[in-house]
Amino acid sequence: MISFQDIIFRLQKFWDEHGCAILQPYDTEVGAGTSHYATTLKALDNQYWAAAFVQPCRRPKDGRYADNPNRTQYYYQFQVIIKPAPANPQELYLDSLKAVGFDMAAHDIRFVEDDWENPSLGAAGLGWEVWCDGMEITQYTYFQQVGGINCSIVPVEITYGLERIATFMQGVESHFDINWNGKEGDQKLTYGDVLLRFEREFSCYNFDAASIDILSKHFEDYEVECRRLLAHNLVMPAYEQCIKANHGFNLLDARGIISVTERAGYIARVRALAKSCCQAWVESL
Amino acid sequence: MREELLLEIFSEEIPARLQKKAMSDAIVTFSTIMDDYNVSYGSVESFVSPRRLTLLVNNLQQRTKTAVERKRGPSVSAGAKAINGFLKSSGKAKENLIEIDGYYYVDIETNPSEVRGLIGDMISDFIANMPWQKSMRWYLEDQKTLSSFWIRPIRSILCVYDGSPVDELIKSVGLRTCSYTYGHRFLAPRIIEVSDFDGYRNGLEAAHVMIDYAKKRDHIDMEMTKKAADLGLCVMYDDGLLDEVAGLVEYPFVHIGVINEQFMQLPPEVLSTSMKIHQKYFTMTYPDSVIAPFYGVVTNIPVTEVMSDGLNRVLRARLSDASFFYKEDLDVTLEAFAQRLSNVVFHEKLGSMAQKIDRMMSIASTKDEHRATALCKADLLTQMVGEFPELQGTIGGIYAGVQDESHELRIAIKEHYKPVNATDTIPSSLLGARISFFDKIDSLVGLLGVGIKPTGSKDPFALRRTAIGIVKLLCESDGNILDSETLSWYIDTLITAYLDQGVPLDANTGEVVKEFLTDRFRTFVIDGLEVSSCVVDAVINSFGDVSNLDYPAAINKSRKTHYLTTLDGFDVVRTAYKRAIGIIGDTRVNLSEGTDVQFRDTSMIVANDAVQALYAACLAANNSSSKRVVKEDEPNVADDEDFRSVAQAAGFILEVCDKVLINDPDPKVRLANARLLRKFAHVVRDRIGDLTYVTSPRAC
Repeated sequence: MISFQDIIFRLQKFWDEHGCAILQPYDTEVGAGTSHYATTLKALDNQYWAAAFVQPCRRPKDGRYADNPNRTQYYYQFQVIIKPAPANPQELYLDSLKAVGFDMAAHDIRFVEDDWENPSLGAAGLGWEVWCDGMEITQYTYFQQVGGINCSIVPVEITYGLERIATFMQGVESHFDINWNGKEGDQKLTYGDVLLRFEREFSCYNFDAASIDILSKHFEDYEVECRRLLAHNLVMPAYEQCIKANHGFNLLDARGIISVTERAGYIARVRALAKSCCQAWVESL
Repeated sequence: MREELLLEIFSEEIPARLQKKAMSDAIVTFSTIMDDYNVSYGSVESFVSPRRLTLLVNNLQQRTKTAVERKRGPSVSAGAKAINGFLKSSGKAKENLIEIDGYYYVDIETNPSEVRGLIGDMISDFIANMPWQKSMRWYLEDQKTLSSFWIRPIRSILCVYDGSPVDELIKSVGLRTCSYTYGHRFLAPRIIEVSDFDGYRNGLEAAHVMIDYAKKRDHIDMEMTKKAADLGLCVMYDDGLLDEVAGLVEYPFVHIGVINEQFMQLPPEVLSTSMKIHQKYFTMTYPDSVIAPFYGVVTNIPVTEVMSDGLNRVLRARLSDASFFYKEDLDVTLEAFAQRLSNVVFHEKLGSMAQKIDRMMSIASTKDEHRATALCKADLLTQMVGEFPELQGTIGGIYAGVQDESHELRIAIKEHYKPVNATDTIPSSLLGARISFFDKIDSLVGLLGVGIKPTGSKDPFALRRTAIGIVKLLCESDGNILDSETLSWYIDTLITAYLDQGVPLDANTGEVVKEFLTDRFRTFVIDGLEVSSCVVDAVINSFGDVSNLDYPAAINKSRKTHYLTTLDGFDVVRTAYKRAIGIIGDTRVNLSEGTDVQFRDTSMIVANDAVQALYAACLAANNSSSKRVVKEDEPNVADDEDFRSVAQAAGFILEVCDKVLINDPDPKVRLANARLLRKFAHVVRDRIGDLTYVTSPRAC
């Protein structure tokens, strides 16, 4: 049986062998690996780029107080971004699954249409969700646009859902039962040992305890700060404020105080920030 | 094969939902290009699988057609120098000159060219012109540029013509055409050399790729039915799902999987929707239609034991999600959900769902209607509908059942979105139909009232479908949708309710709504009942107030009149009606005067029998408009007899109008004549329609 961490090690090794810089996660709250500047901003310039990294993701609304075995407000993605997309990206991807230990003769791997879109980031692409025996294990996208700007060199983004792959490979039903360190007996550490309490407490925070006043204030502050930094042409710090604002909005949304009309307004505000950052990034190249 | 062109665009996976359309689009696109290149060809066929779009052109002639181009030269009055220069440059002699409108012309034949040399350009044009609904570009490393648009990156292009490979550079996608393709991605990923279509098809078949979409679909259908039958089960047929799963595999393997018993407590609709939407699994039932703990799935490679476990496990994960939502939802009553409807926007200009419910309340009358209205949208706030929006209504009905609402109420909530389009059925109960009517008429009044109108193919708020829904409810309900009120009352009451809520609607909203409904009714009858537009117009305009149409009566009448147009004598009636209208429209006679004037005073008493017949027809005209649409396709015998007497009267009118002066100098006679014609016109309008809208006997 392959451990959770070994899946990560093998993916890192595989993509290291295929020329990617192995990065570390972005150190602020993001909803997806796509929000890491190594994906968004780097998709927009005219340079070769290849990176792979684990990114913890926070989606406050998806929390279920750890009661649901498959849905959590915090989880891990393994993100690969290569620009330009090589000539055989699907084959590379399938090879990476083999490297993790998938037996291609025994499993049904399918590329099922899923055109990815991130309205907050003004990003869109065409691609698929990859199914393994009916389970979505990867999101595979050819970016066409980021921050409302067309990509002059089209990258491929491959996003593995690590918990999905782990439950699949270990044959367990719940994320919390995933064997994290591969040990058995006293030394065995599960996903639940690492994250169960975190999941419960953050679900309470997201849904019930977070201060709406403070969150609202923070959102305003991030927005102001983002614009101020852009005026100083500090694009990367400004972008960081933008994704912080996005997370702030996600928390407010989870608190259930945002009406549908307001929701559209918040998304538009975040998108405007993202667009300004991407614009400034392209202009500063 | 001789003169056969085989072209395969081999790409990464084409979305399943686009494959069927891609086949027909490819044929049209490539045929247009071949015409542009002036080539002769026979039939064109297309094939598709997830990774390839294939065209087969039969009898593609080796040389292009001879084309003649007419070239204009100097004016006839030009000097010899100019004319000789024109002839020289065109390579023609003096006797080839053609004179048209003062100018010389010559016909220049272009020499046929070799089609083989044009294929590369045709392929480039094909890629550039294929109309994908959504397409993408990818980067061509060699050319440092983006590719042409295609549905997904193209990886290889096979092209064989007249038995030998075509080798051309297709620059826009950075590939050279070749003579091979690839087999199944996992089962036979080998290169397959191809020299003609038969070899191509057989080679792919042997390499586990089925390129015949219809055949693949049928194969799935048959296999699944058979495997289900072996277990004593039936497959819940789903045309759309069948299309989709066929488009997801290069070769179909059918498998029956198992649903854990613990999930069978979920409502059947939730089970089958979750399986279909998330997993593309088919629902299985027992012969008595009760949902069975099995599902059907189509895979791209043969099912192994681990795969079968995986397929079951992923379903368990999905269904445990669904169970979680179900459990959580049931902790909250529908009333409590409904209280949160103020957080759901109906439309930004028209306020929240709670406001919509308040307005619907203003037109509801019974206690049941108020209760059903209050609860009908509550499920929008359930987690289950959040997960499966297509279950709106259905979930409300199920939860109403759980909290012991009456059977009628449960069914009404469940069905209140029906009919969702022109072919859907209306709710099975009057309560459900009334709630559906309240909901739809409220949407129509509000949306039209703030100036939202469909334009061309764009109708983002589905106003047309909403209006068709209302028309269907009015026409097809067994009960009386409008209760004791008129349609105008409902519209006016809603307008007031909107205004009371501070929503400003246009001043002419009422008229706009009625016109919109009449217009949709017209389309509904023309498309749905295949009645021609002039018949519908004749019928609609035969009602006194067009904007307050009695829809059931109008639909019965359209159906009847449509039938009558096929009978002998219809054209006589039409002509006589127009003649009569022309005359009474022209006369200055005040028809309401002279109560002492009798029909017998008419100068038209030439053929007494015919007058009797006209009388009979007039007297038989009773206003028998039924509220309910007559379902029978053929009008009854009485209609035929009625029509015969009207036709007879019409023949008589045509005959006498030529013989007598209708505008007789004697006022008494003139009035009697006009009255008789008016009576006739009235009978025709009442029984058949305003036939001035029927332009020619063959127009219908």
